[in-house]
Amino acid sequence: MIDNPQLRQGGAGALARARPPGRALQIAVHSHKRKTTRIASIALLTAALCPAIDLRALPEFSRPNPLGGVVEIDRPGSKFADAIQLTAARGAYASFHLVAKLDRPSNYEVSLHFPLPTDIYREWFHFNTPDKKYYPDALIPIRSPYRSKLPEPDNRISQQTAQAFWIDIWIPAATAPSVYRGEARLTSGSEHKSISIEINVTPAVVPEKDAVTLDNNSYGTSWLLDQYPKTLKGLQTIAAGDQKLFKLIHQYHKIFYDHRGTFHQLGYGHAGKVGPEFAPELTGTGAQKHIADWSRFDRHYGPLLDGSAFQGSKRGPRPIPYVYLPINPEWPATFLWWGEPGYEAEFVNVVSEMERHFREKNWTSTRFEMFFNHKKRYKGFPWDGDEVRFSRDNSYLIDYRRMLDKAVPANSPVQFVMRADSSWTMEQQFEILKGVINFWVVGEGSFSWYPGAAQQLKARGDTVWTYGGTPLVQNISTAITLNPLRSWITGVDGFVRWQTVAPGADPWYQLEGGGEVLVYSGERFGRPEPQASIRLKLQRNCLQDLALLEEAAAQKGQRAQIQQEVVKRYNGTSLAAWRNTRPALLTKPVLEWNNADFDDALKPFEARFSNLESGAWQRVRDYALSLEAK
Amino acid sequence: MKRVSVLFLAACPLFAVDANRMERDLDEIARVAAIMVDGDVCQRIVTARALQTIFRVDPRDQWADSDNYDVNDEAFIRTKKTLMRLSRMVDYPVDVNLWMPLAANPPRIHIVIRNRYEMSQFWPWGKLHQEMIPEMQSVLSSGQRIAVKQKPGFISVLAPVRNSLNDIVGLVEVVTRIAPDARENVK
Repeated sequence: MIDNPQLRQGGAGALARARPPGRALQIAVHSHKRKTTRIASIALLTAALCPAIDLRALPEFSRPNPLGGVVEIDRPGSKFADAIQLTAARGAYASFHLVAKLDRPSNYEVSLHFPLPTDIYREWFHFNTPDKKYYPDALIPIRSPYRSKLPEPDNRISQQTAQAFWIDIWIPAATAPSVYRGEARLTSGSEHKSISIEINVTPAVVPEKDAVTLDNNSYGTSWLLDQYPKTLKGLQTIAAGDQKLFKLIHQYHKIFYDHRGTFHQLGYGHAGKVGPEFAPELTGTGAQKHIADWSRFDRHYGPLLDGSAFQGSKRGPRPIPYVYLPINPEWPATFLWWGEPGYEAEFVNVVSEMERHFREKNWTSTRFEMFFNHKKRYKGFPWDGDEVRFSRDNSYLIDYRRMLDKAVPANSPVQFVMRADSSWTMEQQFEILKGVINFWVVGEGSFSWYPGAAQQLKARGDTVWTYGGTPLVQNISTAITLNPLRSWITGVDGFVRWQTVAPGADPWYQLEGGGEVLVYSGERFGRPEPQASIRLKLQRNCLQDLALLEEAAAQKGQRAQIQQEVVKRYNGTSLAAWRNTRPALLTKPVLEWNNADFDDALKPFEARFSNLESGAWQRVRDYALSLEAK
Repeated sequence: MKRVSVLFLAACPLFAVDANRMERDLDEIARVAAIMVDGDVCQRIVTARALQTIFRVDPRDQWADSDNYDVNDEAFIRTKKTLMRLSRMVDYPVDVNLWMPLAANPPRIHIVIRNRYEMSQFWPWGKLHQEMIPEMQSVLSSGQRIAVKQKPGFISVLAPVRNSLNDIVGLVEVVTRIAPDARENVK
């Protein structure tokens, strides 16, 4: 992790400034001064024909632009550095941007030499249509040395003079605490530039358990067919094609797991259509309905539920902690029998078989979620499962809980949970559905109107997550840390970004803000698997620090003091500012509210977090590391 | 080569026969639906409150219409079960959707009940209501069933739904796809 105060700093946008032409020449002459006069002459001549080059670094929250500067929103407080000195805990990544600058179009080579495992990524500069500016986000893995030219041909930015690289240095938990040194080099023609990299590895180890579960949500699999047309070509017609689909799905789980997150994929539509990979095949009807074939389901979920899909991960193989079940009003029981004995018979038969199958497979580490996502506006069913607004719809949830309890033995080691995503009526639902719902996923903003609710729900054994969106690329880089931090301060168990795999029609040249994407398809780069974004990496590094802070808060018994210091360093606030109060809106009946009312009521609270700076998280990190040092 | 060509030529009429058979099947379902679907019950599905808010446009709230969409459970369920039974008249995936006109000028229509295969030739996914479709207007006016094959691979037969006054109050769309997409609309 970049230890900002220790960076040898250059001015913000230093790379963007035109360099004196003589300096490049000096560097070239200097690098050859011990050689013969003849060679020096050749070097002088060559240098005159070569572009001026520079290689510098930026802290991870200062995103570079393709012209050698820093993107405008991250610029205040950002400094380029001529050397990198980081302090980092073990069992974690340390990251920074490396920026290669050429004053003229030319070929170049970048290499990195470091004694710890290092991943290097080329940063893709997206043209962002909402503000017509370039932002780096998608990360394309490369190997050192990396040879290319500027402007990068495929990025198609004619004025590009700088290429940025995201550097991820992995510090295994068993690494000896010490100072590790290496360097990065840039070569173009006869010119060379190198900068030193120094990492002070502390004795602290980032806990494996996260302070907050950061979940990434998605819907179905048709988006995979859209984003991987070559890889999944023939899926519809070749029987064995689903193995490629499963491999890809597992890679999505793995990339989020590697970034300290979880991944959800909802397997049914609003009228109850279940994708073939999300449910076992059924046969029969009424009392005879049962599961006919598990094979496809097991090929999809087996490696996720036993953890083998994560072989090779630096975090080690581990079963996924949560998964949606395909249960909906049309599966496993047909809605045709709703309200009749046949509905319950079909439901209980099949869900009982599921429990038995999961138990026999020893899939007991994962929480299997019975969750109803449908909304009546999509005309499939007469009640809202998701975000209940009309109170009478809760009666359906109570019916399903009764059937679930009938299907699953009370002493089952398999963890079936009943999940509800709630916004409009959450306060009412917390009461009506006590003992029915034990996994709440609630709108982050409106949940703030009920201070203490997280603690009350958790005290009765419920799991509580909040949900929200994903910061846009044009937001300040630090924005990606706000939801995880707010979740930790509020005391909820997790936070869901409701959509993180939808890049839009043309993310490479016409990004639409990126508010629904944190990983990109690598198919266009010959890598048919998901590729991380800068925002995902920043979020991962934030979660590492939160895990350290949570460990300190739990061990030292000084949670309030630690959190007080964190929010002070983060945005100059006190803990009191992170607690909201009930707005006047709550005195009106829910059916008289609308979304504009929601926004208005939340504005004063959200305004408290509008002053983020690109250096905000580094200050929190410094504190986390200092706590561990103590 | 010759053998392959013969096989190919043989396959084409077979494909056509299948599509033709499907169209006949759908027409038969539509004919029965016109008798079995109760228009009075259908008229009670959407709540009066939802009908008041369905055209609501609020520049500050893009969900002002759909957040207030609501149905009467009993009427919805009764009608949906009838539609589901109708779709079981054949042994391949068929949906029977209910559509009803809305009082608006120019006329608009909305899908009121969808079913398990999530197929429709006319519904742009997520739309609460939409412009009147000429073929649907024709059914509502004439009471005649019609087959529509506008969207490639889809076959729909539209049939009127009448109430006890013999007014045509809606229509059913009996729909299938020649090559079903198992993953479409799983979202």
